[in-house]
Amino acid sequence: MADINTVAQQFCKYYYDTFDGGRANLGPLYRPSSMLTFEGAPTMGDAAIVEKLAGLPFQSVIHRIATQDAQPLDNGILINVTGQLLIDGENNPQFFCQTFHLKPDSGSFYVQNDIFRLVYA
Amino acid sequence: MLPETPTFKLVIVGDSGVGKTTFVKRHLTGEFEKQYIATLGVEVHPLDFDTNYGRICFQAWDTAGQERTGSLRDDYYMNGQCAIIMFDVTSRITYKNVSNWHRDLVRVCENIPIVLCGNKVDIKERKVRPKNIVFHRKKGLEYYEISAKSNYNFEMPFLWMARKLVGNEQLEFVATPALAPAEMEVDHGLMELYSQELNTAAAMPLPEDDDDDL
Repeated sequence: MADINTVAQQFCKYYYDTFDGGRANLGPLYRPSSMLTFEGAPTMGDAAIVEKLAGLPFQSVIHRIATQDAQPLDNGILINVTGQLLIDGENNPQFFCQTFHLKPDSGSFYVQNDIFRLVYA
Repeated sequence: MLPETPTFKLVIVGDSGVGKTTFVKRHLTGEFEKQYIATLGVEVHPLDFDTNYGRICFQAWDTAGQERTGSLRDDYYMNGQCAIIMFDVTSRITYKNVSNWHRDLVRVCENIPIVLCGNKVDIKERKVRPKNIVFHRKKGLEYYEISAKSNYNFEMPFLWMARKLVGNEQLEFVATPALAPAEMEVDHGLMELYSQELNTAAAMPLPEDDDDDL
C-alpha cells in the first residue's frame, strides 16, 4: 500500500480541485453509507451529499490548504485539513477545518466520513 | 479631547445575493476604513453620518459569506444595537426568507430598531410588488425601498435608526456622506408610483394571518 501521507495528499488535491472546479462532480468519492456533516447539518449517502454540496448558494469557491495531517485508521486513513475558503470572489478568507475518513474499496479509497466546519473564535 | 462619537453595532442580514455588501460599500469613508476580523469572518465598516446633534457612527457588520455555507452564528448577532434585513424585490424567495432572518435576529437581539429594505428597485422586472410587502407592519419594522447601485434612499434606513437609537425624532442629517457614484439611474416617476402603492397598502387592513407570517 502506498504511504498514507502520499495518498492523503493526492486525495486532498483531487478533492479540493474538484470541489472548486465543479462540486457536483464529487459523487464518485462517496458511497451510500457515506456521511457528511457540513456546518452542523448531517447528510447521508452519496446522492444526498452531492445534492447538499451542489445546492450550496454560492457560485465560485477557492480552497487554500494550509495543513493536512494523516493517520492510519483500521485499513483506511484519517485526514485532518485546515485552510482558507474564498467564496464568490471575496477577498476576505474564512478559515475552515475538515476531517475525512477514507476507507479502502477495491484498490482505491472512498470517503466514509466527512466533517466540515468554518472556524470562528 | 473631543467627545467620543456615539457608535452602534449594525447587523445586516438577508439571503446571499440581495446586495448587502454592495449597499455598505457605497459609503466611501466606511469602505476606506473597513477592517476585516478574520477570527469572526466579518468585515466591519464604520459608517459615519453628521446630524444636527453631532456625528453618529454605525459599525456595519458584513459577513465574508458565512450565510452561504449554512446559518450565521450567534456571535454575528451578539450585541447588535440595530439591524437591516434586506431582500431583493426581483426575487420572491428572498422576501419569503425575511421571516427566517427576523426570527434568527430577534432570538439574539431583542427590542432593537430593525429596518426592512427592499433592494434593486432600479430593475424594471420587479417580482415583489409594494402592496405585497406587509411583513414590517406585522412586526413593527420600518420599510424602505432602496437601490444600492443608484444610491436611491441610501440614507433613509440610517436616519430612521439614528432617530430611534438617539430617541429623538427631530434628528436630521446635516451633510451627505460621500457615496460611490451611481452606476444606475432610478426612474423617479416609477419610484413615485411605488411609494403611492405602499401608502395605499399601508392604509389597508393587514391580510389574515397565515402560517408563514408574510
